[in-house]
Amino acid sequence: MATIAVGRQRPVAERASRGIWRDAARRLMRNGPALVGMFFIAVFLFMAILAPLLTTFDPVRGVLANQFEAPLTNGHWFGTDLEGRDEFARIVFGARLSLVVGVGSVIMGLFLGGTIGAAAGALGGRVDSVLMRIVDVLLAIPGILLAIGIVAWLGRGLPQIMLAVAATNAPVFARILRGSLLANREVDYVIAARSTGASRWRLLVRHLLPNSVTAVIVAATLALATAIIDVAGLGFLGFGPPDPRTAEWGTMLTDTTQYFREAPFLIFFPGLAIVITAIGFNLLGDGLRESLDPRLKR
Amino acid sequence: MALLQVEDLVVRFRTRDGTIHAVNGVTFELEEGERLGLVGESGCGKSVTNLAIIRLLPKPAGRLEAGRIVFDSIDLATLSEADIREIRGRDIAMIFQDPMTSLNPVLTIEEQLVETIQAHRKVTRVAARARAIELLQMVGIPSPESRLKDFPHQFSGGMRQRVMIAIALALEPKLLIADEPTTALDVTIQAQVLDLLRNLTTEGRTALVLITHDLGVVAGMTQRINVMYAGFIVESATTADVFEHPSHPYTVGLLHSIPKINAAPGEELLPIEGRPPDMRRAPTGCPFAPRCAWRLDICWTDNPSLVPLVTGTPLVMTGPNATHQIACHNPPTQAEAEAGRPLRDGFKAASPPEGYQDELSGSRVGVDGAGELPVSEGVDAEPYASAAGLPIEPYDDHGNGPRG
Repeated sequence: MATIAVGRQRPVAERASRGIWRDAARRLMRNGPALVGMFFIAVFLFMAILAPLLTTFDPVRGVLANQFEAPLTNGHWFGTDLEGRDEFARIVFGARLSLVVGVGSVIMGLFLGGTIGAAAGALGGRVDSVLMRIVDVLLAIPGILLAIGIVAWLGRGLPQIMLAVAATNAPVFARILRGSLLANREVDYVIAARSTGASRWRLLVRHLLPNSVTAVIVAATLALATAIIDVAGLGFLGFGPPDPRTAEWGTMLTDTTQYFREAPFLIFFPGLAIVITAIGFNLLGDGLRESLDPRLKR
Repeated sequence: MALLQVEDLVVRFRTRDGTIHAVNGVTFELEEGERLGLVGESGCGKSVTNLAIIRLLPKPAGRLEAGRIVFDSIDLATLSEADIREIRGRDIAMIFQDPMTSLNPVLTIEEQLVETIQAHRKVTRVAARARAIELLQMVGIPSPESRLKDFPHQFSGGMRQRVMIAIALALEPKLLIADEPTTALDVTIQAQVLDLLRNLTTEGRTALVLITHDLGVVAGMTQRINVMYAGFIVESATTADVFEHPSHPYTVGLLHSIPKINAAPGEELLPIEGRPPDMRRAPTGCPFAPRCAWRLDICWTDNPSLVPLVTGTPLVMTGPNATHQIACHNPPTQAEAEAGRPLRDGFKAASPPEGYQDELSGSRVGVDGAGELPVSEGVDAEPYASAAGLPIEPYDDHGNGPRG
C-alpha cells in the first residue's frame, strides 16, 4: 500500500527574533555567570574612570610617618604601605593603568593578529603557510617570557609593555580568525555568494569577516583577562612602568613581598583586584561565547 | 551551436581516504531555453558536475581532471579565475539546496540582491534597489519594498528560496542551475517553488539544469532527463521517453521505487537492492552490476558506454528529437520495465566472477542474484507521492520547449 507519502520536511526556525546581535544580547542577559562577570568589570571600570573622585589621597606620594597603617584607620580604607601611601588610592589608580594598558594591548594585538589572520585565511596557499609557521613559533614561546624579552629589548615604558602583551595575544587572534575564515569558506552562503560572481575582496569583507568576528570578540574579551594578569606579572617581575612609584598592581605586590608579615593586607588587596578583574573578563568572555555561538541558535 | 556543451567531464577528489572518482566522463548538451533534469541518488556526481561547470569545486581536493565545458563558445574549463567570476551570476546562476543556510545571516536581503546586481552592472544603488524590488515582486514576495530591509532569518524557508531565486535571476542569466531546490522545503511549498521556477524560466530565455533525486520533480519541470549513476550518465532521453520507455535497469528501479497515485491496493514498491558503489575505486565493470537484476557475465568486467538505444540512430544531443541513449549491455524490455524485473524464461542475473569482493563490506556478493545482496541503506527510495501522475513537459514544434 503506497498511496500517500510525505516529502522530507524540516522544521522551519521561525522564532520571533530581531537580529543576531539582539538575540545574543538577550541570551547574555539570561546568563548568570556572565552577569557576575559584568558586575566585576563594572566595578573595575568605575574605579578606573572615576579614580580621582573616589579618593582624596595621593597614590604616588605618601607620608612616611603613616607607614603600614591597618585598614580602616585614619580614613585609609585599605591601610597604607611602606611609604605611607594610601593603598585604596593606589588600587584605584592602578585600575586606571590596568585598563589603559590592558585595552591598549588587546587593541594592538587585534590589529596585528587580525591582519595576519585575515591575510592567511584570505590568501591561503604559501602566504598562509609562512604566516602560520611564524605564529606557531610565537605560540611556542611562553607568553610572559616573550613579553619579558620584548620589554628587555625595547626598554621599559607603557607603550613597550602594551606592545609586549600585544605580541603574546596577536598569534592567538591570528589563529582564531584564520580558522574561522577557513571554516566559513565552505559555508553554503559563501559558496552561494561566489556563484553570483562576488570578488575575492567582497567575499572577505562582506561575507567572511562579519561572520568570523564573533569568535574574535570572545577571544579578545578573554585576552583582556590575560592582558591584565600579564601586565601585573611584568610589574611583579620588575618590568613595570618606568617610574617605580607609579601605582600598578603587579609592582605593588613586588614592593610588599618583604613586609607581608607586618602588613599582609598589602598583598591581599592588589591580589584581590587582579583576581576579580581577571575573573570578570573570563566570565564575560565565556558568556559571550555561549550567547554568540550560532550552533546554540538552531 | 548549443548553449552548453559538456564533453568527457572527469572530476576527482583527492582525499585522505584516497581518490574519489566523482564524475567519470560525462557528456551532454543544452540548448538555449531548454530545461534538463539531472537525476540520481546522493553521491552520483550530479551536483559535482554542476559545481565543475561554474568552477566552484571545493579546493584543493576537487580537481577537474579532463573534459571541455563550452558555454556560449567559451571553454569554461580553461578560463582564468577573474573571467569565470564575470560569468558566474551574470550568465550562469545557481540555486542551492538549503535556503536556510544559503543566505548570509548578517546582511539584509537588499544588500545581498544589490551586491549581486552591482557586481556585474555599473548601475547606481538606487537603480539596483529598484531592480531588487522588481525581482522580489517577480518571485512573489509580498510588500517587497518593506521586506528589503529584513534579514534572512526573518523569512520562512519557502520565502528564502524565493529570495535565492530572485538573486539567481537578477541578471537574467542564460543558464540557471538549480541543485535540489526544493529538497529542504515541505511539500506544499515545493510545488509553489517549482511552479515559480518553471514560469520564470519559460518566460525568459533562461535554460535550466534541475538537479534532483526525485523523478516526480523533473516530470513536470524538464524536457529532457539525464539519469546519473556513480559518476556516469546511464540513460539520457526526453522526459517522455524516460517515463514511457525507461531502458536502463537503474532508471527502471528508480521509477518502481516511487509510489504511484493510481497504484492498485496491495501493490508493493520495489526498492533497488544494495547500495551505491564505493567511489574510491574506478569501476572496472558496469557500476550498477552488483545491484542489477538484468546483469550478464560481461557486466562484471566491461563498463558499457552511452550509446543510442536503437543501434544506428543518428545522435541528436538536444531538443524534442534527442536520441534515447543508454549505457547497458542487457536493457530491460518494455514489459520487463513495467514489471520491474526480468521476465525471460530461466533468466538469472549473472554471478560475480571468481574472487569478486563486495566493495563496501568486503563480503562475497550473493550468488543467486540481486535478491541476496545487502539490504539497501543509502538508497534514495524516499517515498514521494508526487511522481508519475504529473504532466510531462512537451516541446513545441520549434524544438525549443514552451515559451510564454
